[in-house]
Amino acid sequence: MASYGVRQLLACFFGIFVFLGNAPAFAAEEIAIGVLQPLSGPNAKFGVSSLRGSEMVVEAVNAAGGIKSLGGAKVKIISVDVPTPNTAAAATQRLVSKNKVSGIVGVFVSSTTLAVSEVTERVGVPIVTFAFADQITERGYKYSFQVTPKGTIFGNAQLEYALDIAKQYGESVKKIAILYEDTAYGTSQAKGIRVAAGKNNLEIVVDEAYPLGITDAAPLVNKLRASGAEIVFPVSYLNDSLLIIRTMRQQGLTIPAIGGAAGYIIPDFKKGLGELADGTLSVASAAADQIPEIALEYKKKYGSFMTHEAISHAVATDALIKAVEKAASSDPAKVRDALAGLETCEGFARGIPGGCVKFDANGYNSVTFPLMVQWQGDEPVSVYPKSVAKAKAIWRTQK
Amino acid sequence: MSKKSLFISAVIVAAALAPFGFEPKGHSIRVLSTALLFAAAAQSWNIVGGLANQISLGHAAFFGIGAYTSTLLYLKLGITPWAGMLAGAFLAVIAAIILCIPTMKLKGHYFALATLAFAEVLRVVANSWETVTGGSVGLSLPYVNPSFIDFQFASTYWYYWIILVTLCVISFVFHYISVSSLGYKLRAIRENEDAAEVSGVNSFAVKMIAATTSAAFMAACGTIFAQFNYFFDPESVFNLPGISIRVAMIAIIGGIGTVAGPILGAIFLIPLEEYATAAFSSVAGLAQLVFGCILILAVLIQPRGFMAFCSRKKKKPQNSDVGAEVGQ
Repeated sequence: MASYGVRQLLACFFGIFVFLGNAPAFAAEEIAIGVLQPLSGPNAKFGVSSLRGSEMVVEAVNAAGGIKSLGGAKVKIISVDVPTPNTAAAATQRLVSKNKVSGIVGVFVSSTTLAVSEVTERVGVPIVTFAFADQITERGYKYSFQVTPKGTIFGNAQLEYALDIAKQYGESVKKIAILYEDTAYGTSQAKGIRVAAGKNNLEIVVDEAYPLGITDAAPLVNKLRASGAEIVFPVSYLNDSLLIIRTMRQQGLTIPAIGGAAGYIIPDFKKGLGELADGTLSVASAAADQIPEIALEYKKKYGSFMTHEAISHAVATDALIKAVEKAASSDPAKVRDALAGLETCEGFARGIPGGCVKFDANGYNSVTFPLMVQWQGDEPVSVYPKSVAKAKAIWRTQK
Repeated sequence: MSKKSLFISAVIVAAALAPFGFEPKGHSIRVLSTALLFAAAAQSWNIVGGLANQISLGHAAFFGIGAYTSTLLYLKLGITPWAGMLAGAFLAVIAAIILCIPTMKLKGHYFALATLAFAEVLRVVANSWETVTGGSVGLSLPYVNPSFIDFQFASTYWYYWIILVTLCVISFVFHYISVSSLGYKLRAIRENEDAAEVSGVNSFAVKMIAATTSAAFMAACGTIFAQFNYFFDPESVFNLPGISIRVAMIAIIGGIGTVAGPILGAIFLIPLEEYATAAFSSVAGLAQLVFGCILILAVLIQPRGFMAFCSRKKKKPQNSDVGAEVGQ
């Protein structure tokens, strides 16, 4: 008969025991904040700049003397890579039970955020997020806070703002096209666009979902051309956005493209497309030109402009730290209560339209709204609505 | 009681008592539970992958069917996930039959590719059939007061014990199959299907029994995974590297075709991966690099899996042996 290796099994079990038992001890005089971001995998770019946003806030707080209500306690970020939703639960649990975090910031990706928030709710630790999915603050959860607009609001703004800009140029739009990737982010934003299109009696001539990471956008673009759409609304992460815009412009399709944030407003978009990027519009939750001093500091430090996910996560981190200050405690439950009653309109919070963080009963920051940016030169510039615009929107830059 | 069964009982008792060394809501017990859950899933895979040498890269299909069936029944009809687990296993059996009829005659890479495509098809379906599956946004288990009937517990101990029992059941079934006539037939087919057929083995029926048993257990693991994580989306349960390849890898690293192989593999790989993520998170992607290097090393040092160490020590494997013999 075969050997079943029971001895090895036993040895292994004890090995695990020893390994898991010897956790690093936690230093009491520091306030630990967990930052969960995808630092590897397809969304790593976004995760890295999001983490930078959080780091910048913590450095600023520590340089200014730490948390005053806690005797100048320093804030420490504990960052964990969560490339997929499957890794989220264990990572969250570790932050809570090993690192004793007072709260968590993240995750750039909606589905991973949902996975994290299921755990944080059950262990009673607040999470402040920038993720778009509507469900995050619609489940009646007490420990989830969303600092930036939800997906459907984003989708609605993407269309309404575009129509307003078109109107300024005396153009009327009747046919639109929606291209979106079939992720939580893509579908919820597409839903918002669809609803807004219905309200404005627009005909949706293309409504096409495609899987993340397509390698050829030509079929999509051909469909777009044949449909006679007057505006296209692509919602996608980086590589797909490059592919779609490049294929469109190379085929001489000049209709305005209004991107759905993510890949459309990061430095790589310009790097990948060069001149072709100019004039592309996109919705965003924040823009660097809203907080020029902070953005300049960021640029000096990291060498590229401050993206909207970096700003938004800075706002989220800032809100969490302010809540710790207000609660005068590192206890997650007290921090959660402080977050619920928080109102802050200074510093990093000015980076998002509305300039404030103030959560409603569901934990949604209802004060803020999306804005429209446009690639004019090397950076996206705020162009709409008027209250936050720094430059005039240009309709049809392409000949 | 033989010396061996005494050993096995001791291991099970030790495993059952293990949680008391950990904080009930802590991280360690969670990692250990995840390891055992993946051990159970790898053991299910081992029934077709190990005994019949049908390398499936589509076991995520059954895993996802289990997760979706129980969760949807619970969310839409209020049926307890325990019953949902059985329903999921039943659907997985049907799926396995549908998958098996056209792919049964395929061998090696062709079989692997066909199964891979099957899981991918289900992922696309789950993504786009929004009215039923909730689409790409995924499904969340509602936060209710912990109770046995809702399959939700405040302490991770309970999940751990449920997973441990599942692992034991699957392992015993695996052992039972491998020493029964079915196991001999499966091995005969693995060695030479034509010869087995000539000797009177009904290869179609034998493979079908193995495939359906494996699928049913994999679906049960999917249900437990959903309950344990509270959230999943098509991307997480129908995942190729995250589920399909992972269970195959665990079984292969541990020792394909052996009872202890998947358990050893999971207990080694899952905590190691978790540890790598914790220790090397400071540099993006470093954790995966380290983890990948260790995997490559493990395969280079012992291509036949950890179990090969003990069989080599004792005796050379024979053809009738349940032990570690792969790669023929």
